[in-house]
Amino acid sequence: MRLTLAWRWAELRMLLPLAILVPLGFFVTHVAREGVLEAGSLTLAMGYLALMLAAHAILVLSGQRGDQLLLPLVATIGGVGLVMLNRLAPEVETTQAFGLQLDVAQTQLLWFSVGTVAMLVVAAGLRDDGPLRHYKYTWAALGIGMLVFTALFGFEVNGARLWVALGPIAVQPGEFVKIVLVIFIAGYLADNRALLTEASLRIGPIRVPPLPYLLPMLALFGVVMLVVVRQNDLGQALLLFGIFLTMLFVATGRRSYVLIGLLLFVAGVFVAYRLFPHVAVRVDIWIDPFADPTDRGFQPIRGLFAFARGGLFGEGLGQGLPSSIPLVHTDFIFAAIAEELGLIGAFAVLALFLTFVFRGLRIAMLARDEFSALLAVGITASLGLQTLIIVAGNLKLIPLTGITLPFVSYGGSSILASFLMIGLLLSVSHRTARAIDREQGLPDR
Amino acid sequence: MTGEVLRILLLALQLGFVAILYLILLGFARSLMRDLRSAEAQQLASRTGIGRLAVLESPDDEPPAGTTISLGPINSIGRNVNNTIYVEDDFASASHAMLTFRGRSWFVEDQGSTNGTYVNGHRIDRPVALSYGDEIMIGRVRMRLER
Repeated sequence: MRLTLAWRWAELRMLLPLAILVPLGFFVTHVAREGVLEAGSLTLAMGYLALMLAAHAILVLSGQRGDQLLLPLVATIGGVGLVMLNRLAPEVETTQAFGLQLDVAQTQLLWFSVGTVAMLVVAAGLRDDGPLRHYKYTWAALGIGMLVFTALFGFEVNGARLWVALGPIAVQPGEFVKIVLVIFIAGYLADNRALLTEASLRIGPIRVPPLPYLLPMLALFGVVMLVVVRQNDLGQALLLFGIFLTMLFVATGRRSYVLIGLLLFVAGVFVAYRLFPHVAVRVDIWIDPFADPTDRGFQPIRGLFAFARGGLFGEGLGQGLPSSIPLVHTDFIFAAIAEELGLIGAFAVLALFLTFVFRGLRIAMLARDEFSALLAVGITASLGLQTLIIVAGNLKLIPLTGITLPFVSYGGSSILASFLMIGLLLSVSHRTARAIDREQGLPDR
Repeated sequence: MTGEVLRILLLALQLGFVAILYLILLGFARSLMRDLRSAEAQQLASRTGIGRLAVLESPDDEPPAGTTISLGPINSIGRNVNNTIYVEDDFASASHAMLTFRGRSWFVEDQGSTNGTYVNGHRIDRPVALSYGDEIMIGRVRMRLER
């Protein structure tokens, strides 16, 4: 038997510039910090490159035919993130793991490895959408189970109970609930789309959605939102709501759903503002952070100063003061990028995310079945909205919420969850490519 | 003096870092443009049909397994050669089922066949709305509705 490999030249070509980008970032940081012209330690940068090239090799060997720009996009975004974390590493806390003292950049690389393996397993293992589509209620139950478990047995960090201790590592189950919810909504909408678009009740001039068919999904969504809001995880709540509305709109094409959803959201926000003090505090800080500049407004004000210092071209890697912002390596990493790389650098990062969203929607458009298309839309919306919410929060365009910038912010659960989503996108894209081959009479590879 | 040189060098390296970032972006943009003109995209643009059936399993090979059938708005399926979709299978009836596109959705209805019509493994007893990705079974022929 002759082994024919499906080469992925476009992917490799787009990965190669990283071999300059990431080491250069480490080099600039080192020179700026030490004030001498020497290379410094490039171990992490090389490790990162090796990891991404290995991922590429495994995709080729496993016969992956899916989108070739996803991995390079993620690798570039993650590379900029790693350069930033390496620059911040001496100034933020270290983690103790497996008897080793690791700084944030080293830990992040460790999580990148775990995430990449997870992505490859999903991309190679999920050649059929059956396990996701047919067991959607099982997935939904798993998601609710994770949330309830966190609410009962989790511990609090910075005022939100989002963490569960799994042996030596702390895990944020909320990050994975996102994926499970996207799978469930995609499965549910794919099975009931016809009913949701065709049937409707008319009350006067308004077409009301057929409630009985929406109910299971609304009920599940309500439970998730309740738990998330109770846990004081507002960013996550906003994100899940955005994903839900996007998927509903894409599946049905009905503007009325979006309109009703937005009205409900405004009403919900108003009620939450009145009922929960922590929501009110967030909103008040957002409206006027300078009312309490030393305590509650401290973090957003420092963030704004960082953007201002950065200006158009930035202070230069290693030459700014990003660590003056509390939690800069998780919540405010975008402010750190804007300070040291300037507006031009921040724009480049946003453009990379935009390209990713474009790519994700393209995968959805090409998908041959409804479940795959909705899954791709849900994942794209999830990562895209997450970027939007945290970047807008950093810039004080919307109230700040503590969610991560995908592939950039420091955090194991977030990295792992984001890579799992890329794995799902690859598997959707792979199935489409196979379907096209089939139609053109090419043999199965 | 050396401090000054170092500062200028650092600035150059720094701008180089951002420049490479933009070169990478340019590469992505070019890949996107190329893909917009690719065969895949042409297929997407020329996808005027409302749907098609991918034949997954067909023991007697009519329609052949692995092929795809383009669909019109009304399709009759059965063992009679006058059907729009001719299925040569011992377990299919002469006039087995109707597959129709109404409004914005696909529907399948059994035409009183002997062995029944199955959607995702369940036998249907009335018209059933399909979504893309659903599987229908006529006799022993298994097909999936695709865009």
